[in-house]
Amino acid sequence: MPKEDVLAVARLARIGVTEDEVERIGDELGAVLGYVERLQRVETTGVPEASALPVLARAFRQDAVNGCSETERAFIEENFPASEGGFLKAPAVFERPKR
Amino acid sequence: MTNHLNELTIAGARVKLDAGEISSVDLTQACLDEIASRNPSLNALLETWGEDALRDAARADERRTDGSVAGPLDGIPIVVKDNILVEGKRASAGSKILEPYVSVSDATVTRKLKGQGAVLIGRANMDEFAMGSSTEHSAYGPTRHPKDPDRVPGGSSGGSACATAAHLCLGALGSDTGGSIRQPASFCGIVGLKPTYGRVSRSGLMAMASSFDQIGPLAKTVEDAALIFQAIQGADPMDQTTVSANPFAPAWRERLNGLRIGLPIQAWGEGIDPGVRERVMAAADVFRALGAEVVDVDLPYQDEVLAVYYVVMPCEASANLARFDGMRYGARHQGSSLLETYLETRREFIGAEPRRRILLGTYALSSGYYDAYYRKAKQVQTLIRNAYASAMTKVDMLLTPTTPSVAFRLGEKTNDPLAMYLEDLFTVGANVTGLPAISVPCGDDGGLPVGLHLTGRAFEESALLAAARAYEESRAA
Repeated sequence: MPKEDVLAVARLARIGVTEDEVERIGDELGAVLGYVERLQRVETTGVPEASALPVLARAFRQDAVNGCSETERAFIEENFPASEGGFLKAPAVFERPKR
Repeated sequence: MTNHLNELTIAGARVKLDAGEISSVDLTQACLDEIASRNPSLNALLETWGEDALRDAARADERRTDGSVAGPLDGIPIVVKDNILVEGKRASAGSKILEPYVSVSDATVTRKLKGQGAVLIGRANMDEFAMGSSTEHSAYGPTRHPKDPDRVPGGSSGGSACATAAHLCLGALGSDTGGSIRQPASFCGIVGLKPTYGRVSRSGLMAMASSFDQIGPLAKTVEDAALIFQAIQGADPMDQTTVSANPFAPAWRERLNGLRIGLPIQAWGEGIDPGVRERVMAAADVFRALGAEVVDVDLPYQDEVLAVYYVVMPCEASANLARFDGMRYGARHQGSSLLETYLETRREFIGAEPRRRILLGTYALSSGYYDAYYRKAKQVQTLIRNAYASAMTKVDMLLTPTTPSVAFRLGEKTNDPLAMYLEDLFTVGANVTGLPAISVPCGDDGGLPVGLHLTGRAFEESALLAAARAYEESRAA
């Protein structure tokens, strides 16, 4: 896979990729893409895409609020990578990168 | 000093427990002793919950003496794979990005096991995010094969398979997206079942490929696998892909007259180790001796099924792993901006194999490539499903080896991702079609276990397990 494609895909996937990794990743992905290329030779005109299994899907359930127990709340807060006053602290979405 | 209680089967332990011959505490302690002795070198378990296990075992013993046994698994030590949530316990999916993560609630299967009084004894090592066929891709070191420390136990449920085969527990839960229960079961010489898609709730299983994933048992015998399967099956309001089909109930048979087993012509071509081929062909003879008809059957698209899997699975996984971004839980590499935080967190804390598959899936779903890769694969998937359905009008189940070779050496396939993917050749069909499939030990090749692989019709696990057990009993005789 060409270098620009690796970098573009990495950006889409939000995975940082270093310069020296790009070639190796490109080769590895290229090998897999080469293998799955065989699907191109299968005649699929008019064939529908496989639908979700199973066919007998469940009925809907009530959109009811269950709430959150104190134990659950405690675990959720314990899992916050960064917090302040019991709230999750995260980078601002619209903040410009600090230079 | 050891009493070898950990070497019992679940069924065997149940009999002794109910007869008052042994206690769950003794049974659990025997497992804990074996874990202390062997896990440091095997690395099958990432964490042992000894204190909780003994407390739960004591409660199980109380229920037993009170006459209120909660179910067949009451007091039985079971291991759960590291991607299945147990409330208050760490669950890391074999990844560093979830190293600090504590499960907020029980997975549905966890709740069901606890409801039956099972003793959850620890969490099992796995390939990171269930991506791998050897457990070498765990961020916490590989698990070693119980019989040969230089070899892999298979994956991604390698820890579960090794723990069961090495008698660190009496059974385990694994997850199977492309063979991750059946392949390690085959390598380690135990039974592994992937139920029909929709049989077992995925609520509380960290999702890899949502349309393929199923939780299932790894066990020492088919009967034990059935006991675990019965405990965890069932429709669940928390998982809309579960189905209230007729619940599985064992229907054991001594003879298999009237059963038609197919050998898919296209699967039995080249690439199977001679020793593996011989063992599974010998198993076919056993099925014949039991009264089954074993015939060749046409199963086209065997050359394409792995390719379909390795397009659709990374696509789904790329979406399912997007949540591991350092924001709400898990490890975070604080960057100078939101974007930098995402990029650095995922680069640093997600391992090479999951990163590879996320990139692959993102690419195959991206504008300009979606039709050529994802849409094409979904179309071929329809053809594959039709091919299996057609074969299942001529036979009742399909027989192949579980894997093309026996357990390979550590490091043998890690340099070549594609070589590792080819390990899944025989197992992915069941995930791509949603059909149930089981791996059963069928002998050794050079001292290493060989597994036979049976695929059945959707929701017909009773027939599948009946055939498996008849074979197993016949070999034991």
